[in-house]
Amino acid sequence: MSHLLAFTLSLTGFAALACAMNRQQRDLFGRALPPNTTRVLRLAGTAALLGALGLLVVRYGWGFGLVTFSGHTSIAAGIVMSVLIGYVRTQAQKPRHR
Amino acid sequence: MTSESDRDDTGRGIRQSMSDLHTWVGLLLGWILYAMFLTGTVSYFKDELSQWARPELARLAERPDAAVVAQRVANTFDKIAPGTSQWSVRLPDDRNNSAYAFWRTAPREPGQRGFAEGHFDPATGERVNSRDTLGGEFFYRFHFQFHYMPVVWGRWLAGIAAMFMLVAIISGVITHKKIFVDFFTFRWGKGQRSWLDAHNALSVFGLPFHAMITFTGLVTLMAMYMPWGSQVAIKSPAERQQMQAELSPFVQPGKPTGQKVPLASVETMVRQAQERWGHDNIGRVNASLPGDAAARVVVTRGDPGRVSMSPQYMEFEGTTGKLLSVRDHVGIAAETRGVLYALHLGRFSDTVTRWLYFLVSFTGTAMVGTGLVMWTVKRRQKLPNPQRPYFGFRVVERLNIASIAGLSVAMAAFMWGNRLLPTTLAGRSNWEIDLFFMIWAASLLHALIRPAKAAWIEQLWAAAALLALLPVLNALTTQRPLWHSLAQGDWIFAGIDLMCWVLAALHAHLAIRAARHQVKAPAKRKTERQAAMAAAQSGAAE
Repeated sequence: MSHLLAFTLSLTGFAALACAMNRQQRDLFGRALPPNTTRVLRLAGTAALLGALGLLVVRYGWGFGLVTFSGHTSIAAGIVMSVLIGYVRTQAQKPRHR
Repeated sequence: MTSESDRDDTGRGIRQSMSDLHTWVGLLLGWILYAMFLTGTVSYFKDELSQWARPELARLAERPDAAVVAQRVANTFDKIAPGTSQWSVRLPDDRNNSAYAFWRTAPREPGQRGFAEGHFDPATGERVNSRDTLGGEFFYRFHFQFHYMPVVWGRWLAGIAAMFMLVAIISGVITHKKIFVDFFTFRWGKGQRSWLDAHNALSVFGLPFHAMITFTGLVTLMAMYMPWGSQVAIKSPAERQQMQAELSPFVQPGKPTGQKVPLASVETMVRQAQERWGHDNIGRVNASLPGDAAARVVVTRGDPGRVSMSPQYMEFEGTTGKLLSVRDHVGIAAETRGVLYALHLGRFSDTVTRWLYFLVSFTGTAMVGTGLVMWTVKRRQKLPNPQRPYFGFRVVERLNIASIAGLSVAMAAFMWGNRLLPTTLAGRSNWEIDLFFMIWAASLLHALIRPAKAAWIEQLWAAAALLALLPVLNALTTQRPLWHSLAQGDWIFAGIDLMCWVLAALHAHLAIRAARHQVKAPAKRKTERQAAMAAAQSGAAE
């Protein structure tokens, strides 16, 4: 259960951080988001990642906690990026199909 | 990068020199590193692969009681190896369906150190007759000592490769200056740019793991690579024995008394250990001089949930079963090594963590693979004549094919060999390994005689086919086909069958993409032509 929660937190954390990035904002929303929104996203993303770390360390101790945190974040970042690639590619194809 | 070197008049910038270092360090041992990464990755499921490789051994629906099994196997040793000076039993657990033991065969003769090994049925304690195979153990051993060469050479080669990897990681981080800005950047369909983005993503997402695994890999064999410290500090045999006790639960047998006294109840000893560490947390039972008055029995704690390989054990007097000592902790230096060692092997993992290890390690494999391919992608555009590349380019291109696609074919072939080689074959486990290398060598030959693109496509398809048909072969040659495994809830057999299909799909996908690459070639040539035309026009304008 802790694994699932930590993974979900990592996933949302990286998703928020990705949405707080310039290039990704242009890809996803077609424009840069207001600086305040970006700041909130960045804070939320960082908080979610720290939450995942805290959860795992409290649950499993530092050794096991850090190992699993590193694993969950690596996979979560990979998934967020794959989704971004997929989304941008389908968006790029859409106008051509119309 | 030009701006970098422009700025630095005295020489090329640090990034450029780090980039060159990264390129050449990565290439020189890249093929070995790729093989180490891939075989190491699958070794996280070494025990599962070994179970798969011995389908005769029945699945354990429930984990047997370690104390009872230990006693049964100890009884068997009285029959099959009386007078052995040492035996060691790894008890069955969630990932191992048999008790595995090794013991000394040359009893108490100086200078001789013969060992025998075998698997034992937890239900009876009797030795089981399963096919002669190394199973997952082969990939594990190959991962750090290779094959067909003295073990020491192989380990040195692995150490040198790991050092190169460490240099490649550090120089790679320095070269890749925009780690955070480019964190989620991937530019699709841009040739070299896309390869670089993919290589960066694979490297950066798993960076903590890649750095950790490379460094800890060196630590696992540090006593061999750099023995001088301990040689200077530790001189007398007593000191050496003390150091050994900090590192490993295997005590060297002492001097036998010659007085025959049977072992006391091993079951009772293991029970005491179970009370201390938990019912299902027993690793091994080691006995030295069993049957002698000087016998000792050591019961070790299991690996799960403990990020350390430092030995924790209880030592008992063999004849009475009296608890002599408990080792709960080691010195700080030994514990540092124990933690780093454990981090590399990941044996403490629960199932989720094991999968995380496997997946992130897999991205590491892909990182090395994309790096190798990128070397050719980067240079192909600059070839004066793409039809006839220079010798070095061809060497790298062909070695890439054999070491990436060819290794997949060879590893799948190893598993085919496990199912197809007759069980009566003498030296069967060696034949499995020979088959692996024969297929790998054949893939190199194939890569040398075929055009590069065709070789990629054919070998990737071959790997996909071998992997996709492996569950079929398993269904035909064993009593444990996929539907049976699924019905029984046997996730080790079902998991391997399903993973074969996942990996087959991955190889098929890569094969299709490699084949499609042809379609993109004219587009690239068009841009080149446009560039040439633009150059010609600007030339005409002058």
